[in-house]
Amino acid sequence: MNPDLILMAVLAGLANWGFRALPILLMRGEAKPGGLMAGFLASTGPAAIATLFVASVLPGLWPEGRNLVPLTVGVLITVLAFLPRRSVVVATLAGSCGYGIAFALTT
Amino acid sequence: MNDKPASFRGGLLAALPIVMGYFPIAFSFGVAATRGGLSQPEAVMLSLVIYAGASQFLALTLFASGAPILVAAFTLIAMNVRHVLYGPALMKEAGRDGARRYAWAWAWGLTDEVFGQALGAVARGQRFSESYMFGLGLAAYAAWVLGTAVGAYAGGGALDGWPAVSAGLDFMLSALFLALLLSIFSRLALPAILAAVVATVIGTLFWSGTAGILAGMICGAVAGMAAGLLRGRG
Repeated sequence: MNPDLILMAVLAGLANWGFRALPILLMRGEAKPGGLMAGFLASTGPAAIATLFVASVLPGLWPEGRNLVPLTVGVLITVLAFLPRRSVVVATLAGSCGYGIAFALTT
Repeated sequence: MNDKPASFRGGLLAALPIVMGYFPIAFSFGVAATRGGLSQPEAVMLSLVIYAGASQFLALTLFASGAPILVAAFTLIAMNVRHVLYGPALMKEAGRDGARRYAWAWAWGLTDEVFGQALGAVARGQRFSESYMFGLGLAAYAAWVLGTAVGAYAGGGALDGWPAVSAGLDFMLSALFLALLLSIFSRLALPAILAAVVATVIGTLFWSGTAGILAGMICGAVAGMAAGLLRGRG
């Protein structure tokens, strides 16, 4: 194995571990309820998930808009499949299947 | 609220959509790595040691371009700064159940998708447990490493004859994020979600994908915090 590649991977991996684990390990108790930090952390989850969803679909929309039918169908089926049982697993699998089928029918 | 804390097995089962989303992406990475001149063990080593999708694809480009190692490593590190928010946000949601005795181990698996799945589960009333985090993280990590290995050993073209399957698998993680967003959606979370969406789009269009993600998370969290303060005063 190339030692430079290993060094790069180890440095990046150590940083990833630090980013993921150290904030938990270094926490000193819970943030004060109603405080600024508590509000910030409570909003981080919804903000992060919304961000990741947009970031994952944006490359299909910009700079060149591709066939939007599979994306539209995938999103609609994910939402519709989620509503009856509020199951993340079922909605994800149904949305993905819907996307694939719409892709097959429109390309 | 469930009375019993979530189990290791529950974590494994909850990881199913992540596993199905990770495997094809990791497979693509394995293919790209070997096409880029890396050996099969080197491709698997990157997935084992870095375990961050976009960073790994970028690592291939940086390494192939001959970028200095420290510059390349710093670039990869900068891409994942957002992960510092995940642990504290999850612990905040977990409340009194937020055990962290073994966080040094399970937090290694706290990727975007694992964080989203864990947060969604707790927000839906499931009690947090470190066993659940181990199950969730281990299944996702195994799928990532295994997908890379299969991709590196199979080589390119394995899904070329199945474009619809490939497209459906590509959409898996987007569907997962959307389903997770629906699962934690509430009127109180709306300011954070709207600000995050707008900031992500602006950051991505005018700067880069990484900047868009960072801008979305920070602006969304700040907007949610500000809305909470305004509600408190009102």
